[in-house]
Amino acid sequence: MSAAPLPDTAAARYAGSRVRRVEDARLLTGAGTFVDDVTRPGMLHASFVRSPHPRARIARVDTAAALALPGVHAVFTADDLNGDVVEAWYTGTGSMVPDTPRPPLAAGEARFAGDIVALVVAGSRYLAEDAAELVDVGYEPLPAVADYAAARTAEALVHEGYAANLAGELAGAPAETIADAYTSAAHVVSETIWEQAQGAVPLETRGLVAEWSRGSRELTVWAGTQAPHEVRMFAARLLGIPEHSVRVITRDVGGGFGQKVVPMREDICVLLAARKLPAAVKWIEDRRENLMAAGTARHEHGTARLAFGADGTLRAASLDHVQDVGAYPTPWPVGTGAATPMIFPGPYRVSAGTFTHASVFSNTPGRVAYRGPWAFETLAREVTLDIAARRMGIDPAELRRRNLLRRDEMPYSSPTGMPYDHMDPLETLEQALAVLDYDAFRAEQAAARSRGRYLGVGISCYAEPTTPAFGVYATEGATIRIEPSGKVNVYVAGGSTGNSLETTAVQLAADALGADIADVHTIQGDTAVTPFGAGTGGSRSGSMIAGAVGVTAAELRDKLTKLAAHKLEASEADIELARSRAAVKGDPEAGVSFAELADIAYFQPYALPPGMSPGLEASARYAATGMGLWACATHVCTCEVDSMTGKVTLLRYVVGEDCGHMINPAVVEGQIAGGVVQGIGGALLEELAYDADGNPVATTFMDYLLPTATEVPLIEYAHVETAPGPEPGGYKGVGEGGAIGAPPAVVNAVADALAPFGVTITRLPLSPAVVAGLIDEAGGSQ
Amino acid sequence: MKPAPFEYHAPDSAKEAVDLLAELGDGAKVIAGGQSLVPVLALRLAVFEHLIDIRRITALRGIEERGSSVWIGAGTTEAEIGHSDRVARHVPLLSRATPLIGHFQIRNRGTIGGSLAHADAAAEYPAVALALDATVEALSPRGQRTIPAAEFFTGIWATALAPDELLTGVSFPAAVNIPGGRQGFAIEEFARRPGDFAVAGAAVAAGLDPGGQVSASGIALFGLGPVALRAAAAEAGVLGRSVREIDPADVGRAAVADLDAVPSDLHGSAGYRKKLGAAMVARAWEKAVKEAASG
Repeated sequence: MSAAPLPDTAAARYAGSRVRRVEDARLLTGAGTFVDDVTRPGMLHASFVRSPHPRARIARVDTAAALALPGVHAVFTADDLNGDVVEAWYTGTGSMVPDTPRPPLAAGEARFAGDIVALVVAGSRYLAEDAAELVDVGYEPLPAVADYAAARTAEALVHEGYAANLAGELAGAPAETIADAYTSAAHVVSETIWEQAQGAVPLETRGLVAEWSRGSRELTVWAGTQAPHEVRMFAARLLGIPEHSVRVITRDVGGGFGQKVVPMREDICVLLAARKLPAAVKWIEDRRENLMAAGTARHEHGTARLAFGADGTLRAASLDHVQDVGAYPTPWPVGTGAATPMIFPGPYRVSAGTFTHASVFSNTPGRVAYRGPWAFETLAREVTLDIAARRMGIDPAELRRRNLLRRDEMPYSSPTGMPYDHMDPLETLEQALAVLDYDAFRAEQAAARSRGRYLGVGISCYAEPTTPAFGVYATEGATIRIEPSGKVNVYVAGGSTGNSLETTAVQLAADALGADIADVHTIQGDTAVTPFGAGTGGSRSGSMIAGAVGVTAAELRDKLTKLAAHKLEASEADIELARSRAAVKGDPEAGVSFAELADIAYFQPYALPPGMSPGLEASARYAATGMGLWACATHVCTCEVDSMTGKVTLLRYVVGEDCGHMINPAVVEGQIAGGVVQGIGGALLEELAYDADGNPVATTFMDYLLPTATEVPLIEYAHVETAPGPEPGGYKGVGEGGAIGAPPAVVNAVADALAPFGVTITRLPLSPAVVAGLIDEAGGSQ
Repeated sequence: MKPAPFEYHAPDSAKEAVDLLAELGDGAKVIAGGQSLVPVLALRLAVFEHLIDIRRITALRGIEERGSSVWIGAGTTEAEIGHSDRVARHVPLLSRATPLIGHFQIRNRGTIGGSLAHADAAAEYPAVALALDATVEALSPRGQRTIPAAEFFTGIWATALAPDELLTGVSFPAAVNIPGGRQGFAIEEFARRPGDFAVAGAAVAAGLDPGGQVSASGIALFGLGPVALRAAAAEAGVLGRSVREIDPADVGRAAVADLDAVPSDLHGSAGYRKKLGAAMVARAWEKAVKEAASG
């Protein structure tokens, strides 16, 4: 989509328009700088020795043959590295929670197929892999906890000290306290919904380069991360060195989606090893490692219990939720896991509801964050809602229309205590249905069925907490410096993984200062020069950068205005900033460029107004208010199912999204589209499958199937801006929603297509074999 | 995902390549486009001390009409075959199979010799070679020999090639020479996504005599066993019958009825694959006889 030209007026705003991405010139010409593009003098390369067993005692690790290979510098085992850990807690989790075990290298026991047992460092990656094969590990296989759903009664324990393989449990009010809502209901619909394990699968795998400077005792890390400052703080604590001795540099990152939100065990090993090596060490995860060991997500199930009045009015919504956290969840999984059933009541008017949550270990890699980590709540609720609609004989669009919250009902507190405000769920449904032309589709569907073709439509609605306003996420800083040339440099923490944070910062700063966008540049991702910020996560970057740039630019704007008024001998109230100039209102000829003002500020201090400090630079922090910003959306998808092969073909996909005002509609649509595609993958294709013994089955892209352009229809958007956020700028988060809404929209569309067969769908993914099996089980004909 | 060390050889002639194979023994492997072998090496699923790259051997490339056959050099890329008018005219089944192989980047490097010698059970070219009764040419220090396609594929990733034999080319009977006068060809496969290996597929060559009786039938299955297979019972079941009496669904059912080693994996159980295979045979049969009837 091409950028719309901006109107050539003094008051033109960049925010809200499709400004072209400033990142694209380098990224689209293959000239980005990713971790693997970093080369250091004498750089060494790391490779891990990984357990082939889902669970095994490690009787011995013999490194002699590997060390004897020419070109091998070191082979580290748990004995060499694990004792060096000073502190290993994540800032977002804090040091006080009962965090789950996360040893750098497996010590004594390997806990999943792919667990890291030794770290080899050599002159090249080829040599490192040759040497890794020569490390002789004595494994004694043990029975594994392969299936998390059976883990609580399994004899084997993933971690000693965690009885029944429970990592943690949390629950809301006891079910008895809301029993009335169920016993008095006209309809109660209860279904257990199962989601399969998936991976974030960023285009760029994990990786880092770590260089220890022996003389200055400083560590420099080039990291593929969503949060450079978190890597810095974590590394300082890990090694027990002052934070100012660690510099983290991140330029381009090819996707994170949660997988790169905090340093993981491999990163920890490389950071620990760097201090013992004479040169920088690089570790680049390969694709097999990424699929085997970079963590799993979405592996969970839950029993949804919905109660309705006779007219379909939702009376109660509860979820009993169990999630697989694997062997080494990262970060602590219980708090975010419990958020899943707490958000379950969703964007609906419902007065009763409660929840339980259990996080359960298994001998698989470990749960990691993945775009909308709580997304299962939407899957469980929306799929059960459609099942309920069919049972009650109410059209699924109508059932939602009767129960979705309206803008004028805000603020609204969900039965699990979610403090909704500033959102318009019903409007997202109406706009999405209008774009689709729902009634026309129903007519088309009926006509197709009469010809033996199975078309379906699926709807999914959700309310999404964005821009969390607590802890590490509570504030975001910016430094803006107008250089002596008059050009503007915006320094923010960054952590862009492709999500356009450079464009966002430039666009917002240009507006806030009245600068021409071509004069604005941004520096991000280098902890040595940027203010602290928590990076990309929680759908926060857009709104928090808007806040940080806003408060910082306001200070500079004030200074520019005062300086221009002094120079032009005009009143401050008459000064207008636009197109990198300060001009007097009504007299555009009377003006002064930012370059001229900068020249005064830096080189002619005698010409400054009395009392004004020289220079044109400001630093400030924005503090998020309230509990966060609620976005919401409705996804509507149509599909055709081949009843013989079971293949699902998606026909149309419409998203009605309420993310408040949009900084850049092209970026918003890019975020939605990327998430939707991941959600489609989760519904139809992707599965990090394990066999009954706990061995991974999908370790290459031949078996882990990602959606491509041929599986994804054109995505259509209805932007709902009727409930902007309270501040800043009315922006709300939009990073995760696409991935949250898509799986149930697709599942519901398939279920609707198969309604003539009497099929009920409660398990993902809907591979052709699964769909064909469902039709067979249902009798194979209408 | 870096291969173990190997020595790289790039001979200029087929004879030189065969001599190297004989000299280096089991530690040597022929590489052409590398589209299957390189991932195997990178994942260290197999280790070879020597790779013999045959891409410099110009005599192994080309598409030629030789009598009533079309000869294709082993080193000819799938892209070249897909773009060849000669192949489209005389071996249309091969033309139609080519776009189903992977993605264009893969077809730009992958070769027909590599596809046949690798003998993946789910690959398209082995099934085409079976359905058309192609002849494979092999060179060894003992000289040249030919192997009928029906005898070439022997097991999982296994062929009739001796360790010191190099596949040099393959001959397909030109379409006009299939007995019966009117022929039709079709290939159908079901894959999770375009470009993926087939979950199940079928290649069909059908000949009809002027009276509409089936005078020739080649039905090959892929993705449905350890190797590509001929569906002999289904072929026999249609021979000599009037095409109008044949229900394509019956041909499909007959083609998969006796299969006993159908793979079962993440993408489908053996039962699902058989059902799909029957449907692919039925669809391909229907298309092939329709073409023959209109030819």
